[in-house]
Amino acid sequence: MFEAKLQQAGTLKKILDAIKELLTEATFDCTDSGIQLQAMDNSHVSLVSLNLRADGFETYRCDRNVSMGMNLTSLGKILKCCSADDVVTMKAQDAADIVTFVFEASNQERVSDFDMKLMNLDQEHLGIPETDYACVVKMPSAEFARVIRDLSQFGESITFSCSKAGVKFSSTGDIGTGNVKVAQSSSVDSKDATTIELQEPVTLTFASRYLGLFAKASGLSERVQLSMSPEVPLVVEFKINDIGYVRYYLAPKIEDDDGN
Amino acid sequence: MGILGLAKLIGDIAPQAIKENEFKNYFGRKVAVDASMSLYQFLIAVRQEGAQLTSADGETTSHLMGFFYRTIRMVENGIKPVYVFDGKPPQMKSGELEKRTERRNEAQKALDIAVEAGNVEEIDKQSRRLVKVSKTHVEEAQKLLKLMGIPFVTAPCEAEAQCAALQKSGKVYAVATEDMDALTFGTKVLLRHLTFSEARKMPIKEFYLEKVLEALEFTMDEFIDMCILLGCDYCDSIKGIGPKRALDLIRQHRSIETIVEKIDSKKYGVPENWPFKEARRLFKEPEITESDQVELNWTGPDEEGLVKFLVEEKGFAEDRIRNGSKKLQKAKQTSTQVRLDTFFTVKSTTQAKRPAETKKEEKGGKKGRGGGSGYRRGK
Repeated sequence: MFEAKLQQAGTLKKILDAIKELLTEATFDCTDSGIQLQAMDNSHVSLVSLNLRADGFETYRCDRNVSMGMNLTSLGKILKCCSADDVVTMKAQDAADIVTFVFEASNQERVSDFDMKLMNLDQEHLGIPETDYACVVKMPSAEFARVIRDLSQFGESITFSCSKAGVKFSSTGDIGTGNVKVAQSSSVDSKDATTIELQEPVTLTFASRYLGLFAKASGLSERVQLSMSPEVPLVVEFKINDIGYVRYYLAPKIEDDDGN
Repeated sequence: MGILGLAKLIGDIAPQAIKENEFKNYFGRKVAVDASMSLYQFLIAVRQEGAQLTSADGETTSHLMGFFYRTIRMVENGIKPVYVFDGKPPQMKSGELEKRTERRNEAQKALDIAVEAGNVEEIDKQSRRLVKVSKTHVEEAQKLLKLMGIPFVTAPCEAEAQCAALQKSGKVYAVATEDMDALTFGTKVLLRHLTFSEARKMPIKEFYLEKVLEALEFTMDEFIDMCILLGCDYCDSIKGIGPKRALDLIRQHRSIETIVEKIDSKKYGVPENWPFKEARRLFKEPEITESDQVELNWTGPDEEGLVKFLVEEKGFAEDRIRNGSKKLQKAKQTSTQVRLDTFFTVKSTTQAKRPAETKKEEKGGKKGRGGGSGYRRGK
């Protein structure tokens, strides 16, 4: 038996918004420690890793590990049926082929429930090595989303150059060039601050399309953390209030100069 | 024409060995393309009002059209193709080739009849059957590839075998052909439909040799034997044995030798002096150029050269050729997207349970969608 109750259905809606354009279907692995999801997009360029801790839920019970394969479009249809401040309960029997969502309106007057058929999905679990990143940038997520949105208009890829002074995002395309420099804030404590922890300067290039899809998670959190090291995937992390995080990994683009 | 009914057999028995994927997901991959097969494909398919495309003086240009545009489509999507051409056919194939000549003669007769009767549909059908790749076609295609900066290899013998060798040595990621015998030659990843026209919207089908063997519980030797039983280009097979019997026989006896010994020779006609051993040897040790002697270089296009060849000699429209050349040049300059697989290793794979297994196993909260060949990713 699996049952998890969340005070704010809006969190679930935002999580779905953050992943539904990268993945069409995904398996939610429920264990007694919480709910995890790890999946790559079709072209294996990016990976979504979602972690919701059991203690972040109002109530959480998972007697046996359950893997729930869901079609995210169908999940979206169900989540359309609730308001952001509804209380949501997810339920599944052991070895069940459906999951039930119960939405209770905050005024207690309206209760709705929806069953969704589960799917049987191939799953590939990737081992992600622990990495000491050469550069970790923390910045307001709205600022990050804006930079990506602005620069996506120029080219298919955006270059991140990190130095002690700040981060420079740049993109070149048919219409011209765009550069946005975000400097390290003087006051570190403010929630709008940009902070940079730097071991060594890093310059990496990534596909704009994927960054744009990651930026859709900025509704989940006011802050975003970008971790980078030369020639390894970028990690974009959004914390989800008191319950967990969604992390995106994105493989860089490289110049191939040898003609191969 | 490859192995008779192998694709269907794999689809039925080992659906997990086939994956469908979109064209655009192959960026950054080097792929060996069976050029001889593509040549036929283009000569047959690239047509206008049923007739092959020709230049002003009546020379066929369908193949050039095909090579030019389909290669550009691949390059634009970040695929790095290397074309492999057939060398001389192996001795063993003469029987098959005779049969093909015979079929061609029949088609010619049918065409003559159709022309007399004025049956347009039939003329179209039969003239497609008459297509034969000539030496000029091959030379022109190679000249075009050279101008486009796309590498090609001429195999000493069969192109599929050479493709397989390139793939096995890791020079390329996969082999693109419609001929299933590339698997019999040991190709680990085979792509079908890669050279098809974009308009057909056919998803690429990937075949994984290892998963085929796993699902059939065969060794490579047993798989080769099964392919010979199914019917290959190099020798006859036993009369009266279809895909299902072939599979059962190998499962039971594990080699053609034992089958020949045990089989009821009255019921099934085993060919006399059946050269299955030679066919097997051809699959296992085909005549190939060693991969380390093959150099693959993707260089940029020679725009002026292309214009001279295609526009001046072959009558293509200049702006289209220049445009195509620009696309090749642009693709050359853009940086390559890397995949996460290169950084992270797959720890575990959980296969979607097939309906039949789900009944047996009571584990987990999943159940099959019921019926069909089970769920496949990447649709």
